[in-house]
Amino acid sequence: MWIFTIMPDWVVHALTALGFLALVAGFVLGMVPFIKKYSIPLKIFGLLIFVFGCYLEGGLANETIWQARVKEVEAQVANMKAESANLNTQLQEALGQKKEVIREKGDTIVKYVDRFKDREVLKEVQGPERVRIEKVIEYIEHCPVPKELLEVHNKAATMNKGEKK
Amino acid sequence: MFKQPVPIVPDFPNATPELMKKCEELKTVDGDKVLITDLLKIIVQNYTLYYECSTKVDGWQEWYTEQKKIYEKLKK
Repeated sequence: MWIFTIMPDWVVHALTALGFLALVAGFVLGMVPFIKKYSIPLKIFGLLIFVFGCYLEGGLANETIWQARVKEVEAQVANMKAESANLNTQLQEALGQKKEVIREKGDTIVKYVDRFKDREVLKEVQGPERVRIEKVIEYIEHCPVPKELLEVHNKAATMNKGEKK
Repeated sequence: MFKQPVPIVPDFPNATPELMKKCEELKTVDGDKVLITDLLKIIVQNYTLYYECSTKVDGWQEWYTEQKKIYEKLKK
């Protein structure tokens, strides 16, 4: 109720109490002779104010419960925000670790491939391993990749670009 | 009596910064005389890029599932 935004709670309680007192006064003091003539207007006034006060009391109780519910939801939303931020931190950490592992594994393979790039590696290895590496290097040196195959590779690597088909 | 929704709208959750990064483009091989080792290196690097990107997709799925769980808790 909008009225509670401008009216303090005590006014509602005071109105109800005033109405109740006026009603009681209307009945009880009606027996006193010189007040008797004000009895009926006092009863009507008291009844109206009391009914209005009761109505406002109901609204106030409803407003109080409603505000409590709003506060509860606000607390839940704040909780939700914290949980969400926490999840993001955990996920960021996990993704960073996974990315690092993938890059490290990729680099290891690239380094392994680089061993066959020149004959320097042959100084480090001996025996059957040396023969094997020498054969691989020989094969690499005498077998450049045809341009057509490179184009196929490049086409596959860029298939998300250009025309739709 | 209090079945109507409370007028509070939670903010849309922020995404993990890592997930917001775009996937890198795959590498192509340049030059006419290319050794098979160079081609192999590019292929390995492209696999690396693919797995990095697939990790992001998995991350988005996890992010969505977990954020949904958090949001569902609010509705109860």
